[in-house]
Amino acid sequence: MDKSIDVFFKNYFKNFKNYDEVLRSDMSINPNWNILLSNFSKLGIKELNKKQQDLDWLLSENGVTYNVYNDPKGLNRPWNLNIIPFIIDQKEWKTIEKGLQQRAELLNLILKDIYGKRELIKNGIVPHEIIFAHRGFLRPCHQIQYKTSKDLLIHSADLARGPNGQMWVVNDRTSAPSGMGYSLENRFSTREVVSDIFNEINVKQPFGFFKDLNQLLINAAPKNKENPTIVILTPGPHNETYFEHAYLSSFLGYPLVKGSDLVVRDQKVWIKTLKGLIQVDVIYRRVDDAFTDPLELRGDSYLGVAGLLQVVRNQNVAIMNPIGSGVLENPGLIPFMNSICKYFLKEDLLLPQIASWWCGQEKERKHVLENLKNFVVKPIDITNRENIYFCEFLSKTELDSLRNEILAKPYHYVAQEKISFSTAPNLTKEHLEPRKVMCRTFAVAKENGYSIMPGGLVRVASEREELRVSNQKGGTSKDFWITNSTTKSSKKRQRYHWHHSTANNLSGIENLPSNTAENLYWSGRYLARTLVTARYIRMVLNQMGNSDYHKRDSDFESLHILYQSITHLTSVFPGFTGKNKVAAFKDPLKEIAIVLFDKNKVGSLAHALSSFNNSYYSLRNLWSKDMWRVYDALQKVWHNFDKKDHKNIQKITKLLDTIITKLIAFIGLIEESILVEQGLLLYFIGLQTEQAIMCIDKTRALLAVNYNEDVEYEVLEALLNSHESLNIYRYSFKSYLDIKNVVNLILLDNSYSRSLKYQLNRIRKDISKMPKRTENTALTSVEKNILEACNLIENASASELIKVDENEFVRKQLETLLSSLSDLIHNTSMSLTDMYFNHSDEQIQLINQKYNL
Amino acid sequence: MIFSIIHTTSYKYDNNVTYCHNLANLKPKDFLGQKVLDYQLEITPKPTVTSDNSDFFGNTVTHFSIEKQHKELIVTARSKVERSFELQKNILHFSVCKELTLETALEKLNTLDEDIINARQFLLDSVLINKISPEIEAYAKVSFKKDRSVFDAAQELMKRIFTDFKFDANFSTVATPIDEVMKAKKGVCQDFAQVAIACVRSIGLPARYVSGYIETLPPPGKEKLVGTDASHAWFSVFIPGFGWVDFDPTNNQIPKNQHIIISYGRDYFDVPPLKGVIYGSGNSIMDVSVDIRPAKTQGQSQSQNQF
Repeated sequence: MDKSIDVFFKNYFKNFKNYDEVLRSDMSINPNWNILLSNFSKLGIKELNKKQQDLDWLLSENGVTYNVYNDPKGLNRPWNLNIIPFIIDQKEWKTIEKGLQQRAELLNLILKDIYGKRELIKNGIVPHEIIFAHRGFLRPCHQIQYKTSKDLLIHSADLARGPNGQMWVVNDRTSAPSGMGYSLENRFSTREVVSDIFNEINVKQPFGFFKDLNQLLINAAPKNKENPTIVILTPGPHNETYFEHAYLSSFLGYPLVKGSDLVVRDQKVWIKTLKGLIQVDVIYRRVDDAFTDPLELRGDSYLGVAGLLQVVRNQNVAIMNPIGSGVLENPGLIPFMNSICKYFLKEDLLLPQIASWWCGQEKERKHVLENLKNFVVKPIDITNRENIYFCEFLSKTELDSLRNEILAKPYHYVAQEKISFSTAPNLTKEHLEPRKVMCRTFAVAKENGYSIMPGGLVRVASEREELRVSNQKGGTSKDFWITNSTTKSSKKRQRYHWHHSTANNLSGIENLPSNTAENLYWSGRYLARTLVTARYIRMVLNQMGNSDYHKRDSDFESLHILYQSITHLTSVFPGFTGKNKVAAFKDPLKEIAIVLFDKNKVGSLAHALSSFNNSYYSLRNLWSKDMWRVYDALQKVWHNFDKKDHKNIQKITKLLDTIITKLIAFIGLIEESILVEQGLLLYFIGLQTEQAIMCIDKTRALLAVNYNEDVEYEVLEALLNSHESLNIYRYSFKSYLDIKNVVNLILLDNSYSRSLKYQLNRIRKDISKMPKRTENTALTSVEKNILEACNLIENASASELIKVDENEFVRKQLETLLSSLSDLIHNTSMSLTDMYFNHSDEQIQLINQKYNL
Repeated sequence: MIFSIIHTTSYKYDNNVTYCHNLANLKPKDFLGQKVLDYQLEITPKPTVTSDNSDFFGNTVTHFSIEKQHKELIVTARSKVERSFELQKNILHFSVCKELTLETALEKLNTLDEDIINARQFLLDSVLINKISPEIEAYAKVSFKKDRSVFDAAQELMKRIFTDFKFDANFSTVATPIDEVMKAKKGVCQDFAQVAIACVRSIGLPARYVSGYIETLPPPGKEKLVGTDASHAWFSVFIPGFGWVDFDPTNNQIPKNQHIIISYGRDYFDVPPLKGVIYGSGNSIMDVSVDIRPAKTQGQSQSQNQF
């Protein structure tokens, strides 16, 4: 062994001997890995470790995540990618590829048969229980006919290398297989961070496969449309692989939709857009079978579309994979695959499978029960990964109870050989460690067969001795290389871009899905609310610091006014008002901490931020990488703020400074990363609406009452400060602070972008660009409301507004104007919601039933 | 015997429903012994789309969608059905099958005959009948014995449910689990049928759910009231070598001409008369009425007109 490579493998097998992909039992190296290892040794272990950190950083910065259900660490755990790839040589891969093509075809034929003639059951090839007792067998899918060249459009298999040196099939994934997007991201990331390790190695690229996938989606359209409407159906941001749904949506260029974005009308599926309904031809679904149609399948599902199955039956939409294909995720089929292969294809099964015994047969059941400790037992429909029994680790009582379960429903269980699959080297804390690996492969249907992705997703067990490989349990992943031992044919750079041929016909503001539009609108509103609140509180904190220094009476009075204005601006009641007033004035920081940090109080900064997060995640396919970075940094600063500093003025001020800077960076990025027709328009309307509302609230809280001169000065200064307008004031008026000038600048200025008049006019302009739902040229109620607001402010004059009647404290005209404007903006927002988003209809079952499919 | 059946279901909603998608399982079956002479499904408001499919179990399912705003939905199924029980294969005429013991029946179920493979899926857990409790199994075993005739045992089970269980329309809903019905010994026809199915499956024989109608007769000397009948349900046991035999535990009867069959399934979940998803808000009130009476011939109705 090469000396420099030797260093890597020092103590590699300590306490743990296993069949390894790289290091053979005689300590020689698998020649397929030679060049890679020599590239590594050129870098050295220290550098490799540094690169691993870069890789971790890149993935986290790019927001590559994997959600673990019920994870105490919360949503969006970072995706792990180990720097050391997994290699299979082209020669071996060719054999595997053939085997995968055969398996996909075979499963396709099984799928056709079990929802059609059911010859496999009638002829005794497959016991009926394996199909009929599988919860993935959906009876409503019986006899559905498809126009696509295959019934099974996408197939995914988990492979692992068995003791005989061959890759074995361990699982099939057919319902909504995940991993394609992650494997692509793995390739891009490895390529970006450690391009040096590719030197002299010819790695097959997956872009041809993605082209086939895209062509498959286009060809699947039922009416052979040239430019079909294709959407990706996701269960939403809480799903474990939501990152991937969003990722594929941006990569393939098809909109990401939820069930509530779609509707069945007139025997077709439609997407709800701003303009109206647009027919959907193809759905690439990531929602599990049983959840896709609450009419015919699970009635309690809110992730699907009621009536979808009937549209499929009428061949007005194609779904990848067809609903009902989850029945093939069925270890019960494994013992019968050979006979099925002979029955359909008159040939032997090419890829070996993990040895499995179906307990529905007497002889097999007896064998399993007698040797239970040596088996891994699974239900034939493993819907829940926690239901796999690793019998060697079970106690006697647990074994007995499993035995009873098997005896009660023998046909429901399959026992599999406990196998020590091969390991591959993983970089762990500055040295290499052997870890179990599992390869997920991907096949998509073509006219005459299946196209296989060269490589796929390699998952690595989380612990050295861990047998199970599952992302739900933690663990990491690897880039999967298919290498060609002949050196690179030319110096030509391999392309890392991918262009697809069809234009996305769901582009343009008119075709923006209503849900996306709504999320953009609220993103704008919450961002504005966060920014304005942060600035306002920062201003109050500054004033508190100043008055400690001056100790003037007018300071105390103006401070009290400012405290109360916080409560009016944020609506976090009681705050500094009502009965709470006295206590709150004594300990203002306590109240301010609530307004800042109490996530459960609507109106608090924490609440606005977390509401923004929700809209933000739902839109992640729209955001650019830079936006991810800024957003991530913002989150970290906010969440790392120590609870014990909640009353420390200096630290809070510093926190707010950072938050404000990051928010401004983020807002700037939004405006340059998204096109108006992609929905930026909605975001702007939201942003301006919230800014206008908060401008009105601030002005009402500070200027509606007439104070004495000293206090008024303080208040005006505070208002301008919180508005970041003091400099502009000085530039424009070059005078002592005066209420008339302030009103002119903050409310009535025509061209100053922070003035209320400017904002209202801007909203009106943006709303006029919204698509009309009818040909009717009359103003919509949205337009009417905003127009009236603009007219009101147009006709207002500062000198009238600041007038105070004799014996009165309140500036009545100012108060009346601001209150009317507030109502009009509220009505504008309401009619906008009714007209364009309209989710007021609930999905209700005609008859309530409780059951699980 | 020819029956006219009018089955009306109505929903009144508090608020407007924007649109809805529904499934109706209301068309009586056609088989030797039952002939559908006429069938019409009337729906108000008029659906935008209706279409019929044959489901996995061979029942007719009608899909309909209403795509305009409405506050009331009325579904009326009018059927004219000729029932001739005497044409049906009757187990009483097949003494070998009638006398078939449980032990032999279970043995016969292990053969690879197509009928048997088909029937055996009715042995498996279904949506509403699963994880059958030891109580139900024990209840079944009182009647089903190794060397006793399956037919006799099933008939006795029907009689015991009829005697032990109390008909109580207020006790259960479509969502009440069979274990609760078993415990309280109360319920309606659907509950009794499902308890019986669980019993039969627990001893290893296939059993299925039958949904349909039964003609009720008015007390002697009284006029029959319109709409007093109801949807009905009972169970059916598979006897190898013969086929399916129906039993009505609500009335302790082996169904004959008074029973009209709409559909078969594993349990109620497979064959609800009506189900749907509506889009709107607020509550609704449902009302069902079923009227079954012997069809009047042309002559009779004319003579009535003369009065």
